[in-house]
Amino acid sequence: MKRRHVQLMCSLGLMAFFVGSAIAQDHNTAEKASGTSAASTAMAASPRPVHDGASPASDAKAKTDERIARLEGEKRFRTNCGRCHQAPHKFPPRVMATAIRHMRVRAMITDEDMRLILQYMTQ
Amino acid sequence: MLAGGFAYALAAILRLVPGLVLALFAASLSTAQTPDDVDVKPVPLLTGSTGFISDFTGGQPDLHPIITPLVLVPIGQRWLFETRATFETDMVQVPGRSGFHGGPVQKEVEYAQLDFIANPYMTVTVGRFLTPFGIFNERLYPVWIRNLQSDPLILPIGVGPSNASTGAMVRGGFRANSQINLNYAAYFSALSTVSPVDSARFAGGRAGIFVTKARFEIGGSFQHLLQQERSNLYGFHMIWQPPALPFDVRAEYAHSKSGSGYWVEPAYKLSQLPFLQNELRRTQIVARYQQFFTGELPSDILLPVATREFEFGLNYYFVDGLKASGNYGRQFSVDGNTNIWTMALTYRFVFPLGHAGIQ
Repeated sequence: MKRRHVQLMCSLGLMAFFVGSAIAQDHNTAEKASGTSAASTAMAASPRPVHDGASPASDAKAKTDERIARLEGEKRFRTNCGRCHQAPHKFPPRVMATAIRHMRVRAMITDEDMRLILQYMTQ
Repeated sequence: MLAGGFAYALAAILRLVPGLVLALFAASLSTAQTPDDVDVKPVPLLTGSTGFISDFTGGQPDLHPIITPLVLVPIGQRWLFETRATFETDMVQVPGRSGFHGGPVQKEVEYAQLDFIANPYMTVTVGRFLTPFGIFNERLYPVWIRNLQSDPLILPIGVGPSNASTGAMVRGGFRANSQINLNYAAYFSALSTVSPVDSARFAGGRAGIFVTKARFEIGGSFQHLLQQERSNLYGFHMIWQPPALPFDVRAEYAHSKSGSGYWVEPAYKLSQLPFLQNELRRTQIVARYQQFFTGELPSDILLPVATREFEFGLNYYFVDGLKASGNYGRQFSVDGNTNIWTMALTYRFVFPLGHAGIQ
């Protein structure tokens, strides 16, 4: 009986650990998100930097392409990942690269979707 | 006898090797390559889920801790080794004794497979893999994904013993046009009587059409049993997630000579309500209605009598991967009607086994 109690306590302890780590992870993510948000707001408010060798027109086009790819990646992410589970937070790039390879096999997402989602999730 | 079964399974897999090598060779010659040439190097992962599930079926409490680690090891640009195990136990109250008492921890390797991404249209898988019959077993089974913690009554149909196959599979997904993605899987499983990695001898396939704009997927599964009664099994599945609403509905139908049935599961996230938005956007209401009909052949893994069941539940998503669930269900059958209450706390974890890169 003592062994059963130990098993039960271990299970509860494990769950408490995971809950704690999840909450800590969420706080970290929220802090990073607010930091990123503040940074992007500051970038938007500041004068545009001038890049060597790139004309303003090509720079603007590159930015537009990047924004379109990001929007498309987000759309593919919502469309594909949300079919089975809640959309996860972003993970570090190398973690995401493994996860997307796993989901390519498991959920049979297309090659194009995989690339756009990976690009979106690692930006 | 077990050794004989294992030898038979091994021999069956070995018989597949020449064909498999040929398929891999042909696939590697395909012009449509570069499946994974993005400049991010994947890292091995220890991920998976854990849960503490308590249910009260007919007034009998049952505590059910479970941990399901999943190891993902990417190899080069085209290979992935993945394996998932389950450690679980059932703890019940014993009359005359205090507290909860359970049996030994059940350990099972659910799958251990090697994937080769041959080209953008095809992945070849060998080893022990989850049988792609319907959608629940392969895509919705983990405790952190499923909306309701109880299994559908028809889950055992078509997935084989231990929900897995031992053999080889080709699968893939590709874009048919700007609105439609197609996906497919075809597999062969050899007989294995070695518990807990037992499997039946069958061949089958699954195909699906995904209308991306409407977020609507429909598909069908087929399987031919190559042992015992050599019967055919078939099923259909559907997922619809309207883009304009935080709503999704999933459904499955499966038929075999041992039984048939269906389940329908709508779920709605309350994020559109104009009050308590921080709480309600994390809250999801779920319902599931299902029916099971007995077949002409007896079965050890399916219910012995025709059964109807309705379940209603509430999920609360605290943070990414952490979810609390509570649901009530009522089961109707000639053996008697039963109330089923379930409470669960589940969590999905991700640990990189190496340098993860900069976020």
